[in-house]
Amino acid sequence: MSRIGSAFKSFFSILFKGVLPEDVARAFGFVRAAAGNVAASPPAPPQVKTEDGALQLLAILQRDGRLIDFLMEDISGATDEQVGAAVRSLQEQCRQALDRYVRLAPVIDGVEGSYTTLPSSDPSVVKLLGNVPPNGKVQGGTLRHRGWRAEKVELPAVRAGQKLDVIAPAEIEIE
Amino acid sequence: MARKYVIGIDLGTTNSALAFAAPPSDPREQAPVNLFRIPQLVNPNEVRDEDLLPSFLYIAGPADFPAGSLELPWPSDPTYIVGELAKKRGVESARRLVSSAKSWLSHAGVDRTAPLLPVGAPDGVPKLSPVDASRRYLEHLRNAWDSKNSDAPFEEQEVLVTVPASFDAVARELTLSAAEQAGYQHVVLLEEPQAAFYAWIERHPDWRNRVHVGDLILVIDIGGGTTDFTLIAVTESGGELQLERIAVGEHILLGGDNIDLALARHLEQELLAKGVKLDMLQLHALWQQCRAAKEHLLEPGAKKTEHPVTILGKGAGVVGGAIRAKLTLDDIHRILLEGFLPRASSQDMPQRRRIGLAELGLPYAQDAAITRHLAKFLRQQAGASEHGAVRRGASGLACPTHVLFNGGVLRAPVARDRLIEVINGWLREEGREDIQPLFGEDLMHAVARGAAYYGMARAGRGVRIRGGIPRTYYVGIESAMPAVPGLPAPLKALTVAPFGMEEGAQTPIPGREFGLVVGAPAEFRFFNSAVRKNDAPGELIEDFGDDLEELSPVEVNLTGASGELVPVTLETVVTETGLLQLWCVARDGRRWKLEFNVREQVRQ
Repeated sequence: MSRIGSAFKSFFSILFKGVLPEDVARAFGFVRAAAGNVAASPPAPPQVKTEDGALQLLAILQRDGRLIDFLMEDISGATDEQVGAAVRSLQEQCRQALDRYVRLAPVIDGVEGSYTTLPSSDPSVVKLLGNVPPNGKVQGGTLRHRGWRAEKVELPAVRAGQKLDVIAPAEIEIE
Repeated sequence: MARKYVIGIDLGTTNSALAFAAPPSDPREQAPVNLFRIPQLVNPNEVRDEDLLPSFLYIAGPADFPAGSLELPWPSDPTYIVGELAKKRGVESARRLVSSAKSWLSHAGVDRTAPLLPVGAPDGVPKLSPVDASRRYLEHLRNAWDSKNSDAPFEEQEVLVTVPASFDAVARELTLSAAEQAGYQHVVLLEEPQAAFYAWIERHPDWRNRVHVGDLILVIDIGGGTTDFTLIAVTESGGELQLERIAVGEHILLGGDNIDLALARHLEQELLAKGVKLDMLQLHALWQQCRAAKEHLLEPGAKKTEHPVTILGKGAGVVGGAIRAKLTLDDIHRILLEGFLPRASSQDMPQRRRIGLAELGLPYAQDAAITRHLAKFLRQQAGASEHGAVRRGASGLACPTHVLFNGGVLRAPVARDRLIEVINGWLREEGREDIQPLFGEDLMHAVARGAAYYGMARAGRGVRIRGGIPRTYYVGIESAMPAVPGLPAPLKALTVAPFGMEEGAQTPIPGREFGLVVGAPAEFRFFNSAVRKNDAPGELIEDFGDDLEELSPVEVNLTGASGELVPVTLETVVTETGLLQLWCVARDGRRWKLEFNVREQVRQ
């Protein structure tokens, strides 16, 4: 195995599984310690936390589309015209950002209101509404919502030590 | 190892692009040209592949970005950021941003190897010369290529770098030296409008049926920052169609950015009338929004007559602080068509500003009317007497048969239609039939694509445009006359390189020997002209008026016994890469090369 190959393999294996791959370990003369012989060391904190992706996406939507500013603003005093104008620009920018990092596609690519056969009986993929038969088995029905599926998520890699909890830095202008 | 690819690089004023082609094993086949997606920092901690590399360089200080957030897929100096992130950050902190380095490269009024950029950077910011900045863009492209093509290292590929046709010999040499400093090994320069035309040929393998002997093709290239005109004649040699580039225009610093800024300024005035004042960042946001609104309104088939422009509130108040305006189709028509592309007559000349003192900066075009610059260009060819196959009208105006558009601005059909309308008006006056547009595609990337195609043409896989040097070059000779206090001795100009002298050619200058001082500094003065096209090598021009433009003087200190006076003749060489060189040849065969002086005098 090439050095680069083993390095990558080890990196991802440690990153996602927390262990060195078996064959790499053997190749470098490491033997897995038999369970019980050594006191189990506390597992290293995982480098990628589950909230990282969520924070990244919030930061992107704020940076490129000012979404957090919008959601956190009190707009009760603003006129519909003002809100409309802001949303027009915000929506376009947020959608562009979303297109870039998350590829979205409908779960069922059909016309809403038309008869559609069920592609799956998994309730997390298709939700049945209305007169669902007791056994839950149906061939199809009227498509009410096409659903959304993330086909691909391409968020930038997170660097060790990157501050993700700051979604948008404060801004100070030096006059 | 055999070269695998031909790489074409469009080193643009505001955007750069890279295209490549793999020459096929069968030389009769035409290889497809592909666009390379250029990895670059687009945000801190984010490298993305983009079709274009914005030609911006940001000199990062310690307060700019979090440590470690500027890593690229290759080892790099985080002080110098190139591309999209540089452009973005430069809006927020303009004094550390280098932009339009290419225009500085062609600015003869400054020392182009001196650290000048960014102009107005505070003390403590490491400054760069226009050559250094160009080198960094080229270096980025080389590293980007290598990061994706470990099996085909950049330095083993054949590389073509495009330059504006209006670049003089010094700007070309500086571009080449930037490429060499960036580690480029096999570089050839190519003029941009020619590259655009090659891109058209590449897309139209049947081009021989579309143009005919005697046709004259006008290439109009309106990029982000510059406008360039070129004339290409279709000729015949041995029964084969040939293309010959016969004229190039002056360097005009005027482009799409000016148009978008003019639209933004217009809306800024409208807002000001309502009592809304914009700061610099908001004006920039408005500029970007105007660009987008213009593209929406001008795209083919668009039916809307206005597009809203919203600048979101500055602080957290997005809705409450939002500023609203709208750009109408009428605004665009008035500003773009009447401001930049007015219906000019073919007799019109660009207007000159009459201000004696100007701020040190780029020599931006003083007249925004591109059509008047075009009239001057075509009219100049009339003044240039009987060179080659220029097709003319009744008044002598050069009369093209076809026009090829290039550059982002000309993606808008209204802009193309207006240019065609104006040119046709002139042609009818000259008693000629209407011009035919040649439809190119992909106006943002055509130059890089065309360069890659030309790279293959050089290897015998395609048609080549014959061109040679786009100017006539002269050496200045002071008349032997009694000195008059306060008046310089009258100057004559000896032709050393004729217009159209071709790559790889060599011309001795007959009939004149110079006393060359060696072992001590000696100065030569050089001139060029894009207008005088029929001066033969050795011809002496006495009264040249405004036809000739002086280049920076060449100061040489040639090796030899101190103070020795060697009688020499001059010899001109145009290298394979399109560079002009002048050699002094002694009777005993010793040779000295006169380098174009890149350390120039600043015009007072």
